[in-house]
Amino acid sequence: MKRIIIATAGIAVGALALAGCSSGGNSSGDGVAEDGSLTLTLSGWSVDTTPEFQLLADAYHEKNPDVTVEITDYDPTDYNTLVTADLAAGKGPDIITQKEVKYVTTFQEGGQLLDVSDVELPEGIGGVESYEVDGTAYAVPYRQDSWVLYYNQALFDQAGVDYPDGSWTWDDYDAAAEELTSALDGAKGTFQHSWQSTLQGFANSQNDADILAGDYGYMKPYYERVLALQDDGAQESFNTVTANQLTYQGEFGTQKAAMLPMGSWFVATLIAQQSAGEADDFEWGIAPIPQLDDSTTGTDATPVTFGDPTGFGINANINEDKVDAAKDFLAFAASEEAATDLAEIGITPALLTDPVVEAYFAVEGSPQDELSSFAVQTHETRPENPTSNKTAAVQNILNDMHSAILSESQGVDDAISEAEERVANEVGLD
Amino acid sequence: MSETMNLVAPESRRARSSVEPGHRPRPAGSRGRSVGRAILYIVLIVAAAAMLTPFFWMVMSSLKDANSVFSVPVKWLPEVFVWQNYVDIWTRSDIGVWIRNSLILSVAVTALQVITGSFAAYGFSRIRFPGRNALFLLYVGTIAVPWQSYMIPQFILLSNAGLANTLWSIMLLQAFGAFGVFLMKQFYETVPEELSEAARLDGLSEYGIWWRIMMPLSVPAIASLSLLTFVNTWNDYLGPLIYLRDPELWTLQLGLKNFVSSLYDTDYGVLFAGLTISVVPIAIIFLLGQRFFVEGVATSGLKG
Amino acid sequence: MTSTATPQRASRRRSRLRTRNTLLGWSFILPNFLGFATLTLVPVIVLFYMSLTNWNIFGSSQFIGFDNFVRLASDGSFRTAFVNTIYYSVLHIPLTIIVSLGLALLLNNKIRGVAFFRTAAFFPYITSIVAIALVWNLLFSPDYGPINEILRFFGISNPPGWLTSADWSMPAVVIISTWKDMGYYMVLFLAALQTVPRELHEAARMDGANVFQRFTNVTLPSLRPTMFFVTVMLTINSLKIFDLILVLTDGGPGQSTTVISQFIYRKGFEENDFGYASAASVVLFFLCIIVTIVQFAWNQRKSAR
Repeated sequence: MKRIIIATAGIAVGALALAGCSSGGNSSGDGVAEDGSLTLTLSGWSVDTTPEFQLLADAYHEKNPDVTVEITDYDPTDYNTLVTADLAAGKGPDIITQKEVKYVTTFQEGGQLLDVSDVELPEGIGGVESYEVDGTAYAVPYRQDSWVLYYNQALFDQAGVDYPDGSWTWDDYDAAAEELTSALDGAKGTFQHSWQSTLQGFANSQNDADILAGDYGYMKPYYERVLALQDDGAQESFNTVTANQLTYQGEFGTQKAAMLPMGSWFVATLIAQQSAGEADDFEWGIAPIPQLDDSTTGTDATPVTFGDPTGFGINANINEDKVDAAKDFLAFAASEEAATDLAEIGITPALLTDPVVEAYFAVEGSPQDELSSFAVQTHETRPENPTSNKTAAVQNILNDMHSAILSESQGVDDAISEAEERVANEVGLD
Repeated sequence: MSETMNLVAPESRRARSSVEPGHRPRPAGSRGRSVGRAILYIVLIVAAAAMLTPFFWMVMSSLKDANSVFSVPVKWLPEVFVWQNYVDIWTRSDIGVWIRNSLILSVAVTALQVITGSFAAYGFSRIRFPGRNALFLLYVGTIAVPWQSYMIPQFILLSNAGLANTLWSIMLLQAFGAFGVFLMKQFYETVPEELSEAARLDGLSEYGIWWRIMMPLSVPAIASLSLLTFVNTWNDYLGPLIYLRDPELWTLQLGLKNFVSSLYDTDYGVLFAGLTISVVPIAIIFLLGQRFFVEGVATSGLKG
Repeated sequence: MTSTATPQRASRRRSRLRTRNTLLGWSFILPNFLGFATLTLVPVIVLFYMSLTNWNIFGSSQFIGFDNFVRLASDGSFRTAFVNTIYYSVLHIPLTIIVSLGLALLLNNKIRGVAFFRTAAFFPYITSIVAIALVWNLLFSPDYGPINEILRFFGISNPPGWLTSADWSMPAVVIISTWKDMGYYMVLFLAALQTVPRELHEAARMDGANVFQRFTNVTLPSLRPTMFFVTVMLTINSLKIFDLILVLTDGGPGQSTTVISQFIYRKGFEENDFGYASAASVVLFFLCIIVTIVQFAWNQRKSAR
């Protein structure tokens, strides 16, 4: 008898919990005061060392004293899990920062994002496609990082190797890496971080490939190149990088590697570390990333690279009175004005007009040469992650393949065909 | 080995000093025994070295600067002893607040687990009622479900109850686990029924038996449960991550991880300084509270 | 209790006794059970329901019956995770029991510095997982790590790649995991060893039994309830293992150390397929329960003697 009572109570509470699950609730608090002033909450991370959120919030408040943007600080490594948990419990922020494109469809399919197609965006702003699902925009990019090649001019001088000049293909890059390694005493020619994107990002974008199509043969030459570099000692092996937790900031910053393919966010970090003394003091520059073949090399062409935007979406359950203000904030974040402000603190904005790029390079410590300017401003940046609900699953499979190949646990052909099989079997092809 | 089984019970202490045989090594065969002793010590020292090596590396790394912690080849000793890391941790972060929160949680959860757990364990082990075994299996069964599987429904539940982002959430989550019940029940099973029978005949209620007989007898089990619960709560990361968002509520693990990863580049030297600090209280508790694990009470009375 | 009671009165007395016992039993259990039921039992029940839906955490869920389970059965990754989990458990469980029991026996003596040794054994358990992962990755580093240096010193020219090799990653994980857990289970065994009556040992010694015989005939039987507890907890924890592997290898290289819990986490939190992840959790649950029931039955039989 007692058991039956308990069981029934259990089911009742369970039903209640489920009911709570599917409702979603309102966004946190109300934020609408009687005098018409509004508060918008915005999800950010590492607020102390990621000044972009507060910068945008303050700049917007100056223009619109009636609206205050409050930043909610989330843990950076588990950002997605935490925001998801909050949204599921109905306590999410008004403005949801899209940290990774992989998760956009999750929010969108779950009805958490408002349609923001009517927010006006400036011409030429990058990253817009990443936030479009079936023609409707669900977020607005304010920042777009892209991958470039950093190089240590001091080490190049020491080894007597010519600086990259924007015309490199991967073969040129390999040759330079080998030359640098043999000429330098102890330092390696280049450093490749362990992320799957350091290789697959280039393979995908430069072959204009769709990772959801399930064919990965085009990655083979890239892997073979890198394995050769590893074997020749021109870069630290993948196993050492993972086992010894080598950081790209540390390796490039303490001059253990002469080159580094990395995202544009590293500019701000390197400048800060050099001024704080955590990184060595040396001259460095930015070059466009090596290309697949000659067709896209040289400063007359547009090099192909990859990168994902960071953007703002609006909580679909936001208080109706705040919708206009929220959309206005999004428009502001994408505007040239905000882009200039962001550039001044070393963030690579999604809008890269000339004044913005000038502001970017006006920061003390940044490279002043033409090539660096070109590399940052001129590029065809293809998305790292296609906007689809299958992306996360496919990327996980490709990551397994990446570690299997570079740790030399599996041959390239085997690993690629296994990945193709898994994608077909576990994710399904369109 | 039995001669050294250390049953230091209050009652039997008196008896021990007069009757205790073999407390001094017998003359015959003593050389054999001291060789055995020596080997034992060697084995223990090697084992202890294996246990402590990673910890040693961690402490040494806490005294290195950020870029030297991970290097190729592995460096055991820092080139320059950066004591500043320890200062940094105290001055640049709110470690005092975090320690306070961790302490509050660990103590509260431990107390609740031990009391409700042993209380329930008595019901399971000493009282026969229908459905007892099935219910117990249900308890143990929930241990079999990985926490991340049901953490979202749980979060929604607690959030709707308005308890998310309070210390209560963690206390409620951890205090009623099946683990404590399971551990105490198993321990109670080692206590012979005759003792309870005798007490019942003396007119003690079941509650009385639990409090007067079972609890004092289960000091080692209570000590173990307390220690393990304390450690688990102290080191818990995921739970506080999801529930304690307000920086004022952060626990030590949470605060450390956040502090370190919000620097430009994870400053592992400072992180390890924090982690070393976090290990110290537990090590002290363990060192001092050792004897409670190995202090049986009045075992001689059981077979009387 | 009177022998003259009629069957009717006896059965009424029995049911009254049963009611009394039920009430009594529940009065003990209730405080813990209330918390347990609301905070653990209910979410777990919700979890079971979710496994029959295609919930993706935000949207409403649709009941899809056993589709998730059918999909699991043909999912190659799940199979790999399942096999890896069993592989890990089969290695980890006996190793940990032997080592921790051995440690407990060794350290149950009054030798000098025993407090220090016990604390040393417990250190791995209290050290944060992050630190453990970082340190052991370094120690096991194939080219530069001390462990391989020592192996090379002893003449092994091609030492294993440990955490970076698909073949050796799981054994390496088992070693690290055992190292971490032994202090924990040692504490449990130490407490249990106190309940072994000294008189029995004395009697056995007088009878001429040697150390080994005393161990198997006096110590082990007395340890049965704790041994059962340790085995069940160890089994469940091994089947459920997650954090340690996540920070050590993230399931790699390839999928060589991906276990069921990580599969669940990925499907649920990275690919937002919560219904599917719940189904995998249910499978894990049944795996644990079946093994526990087997151990339970074995224990009942043994203790009935």
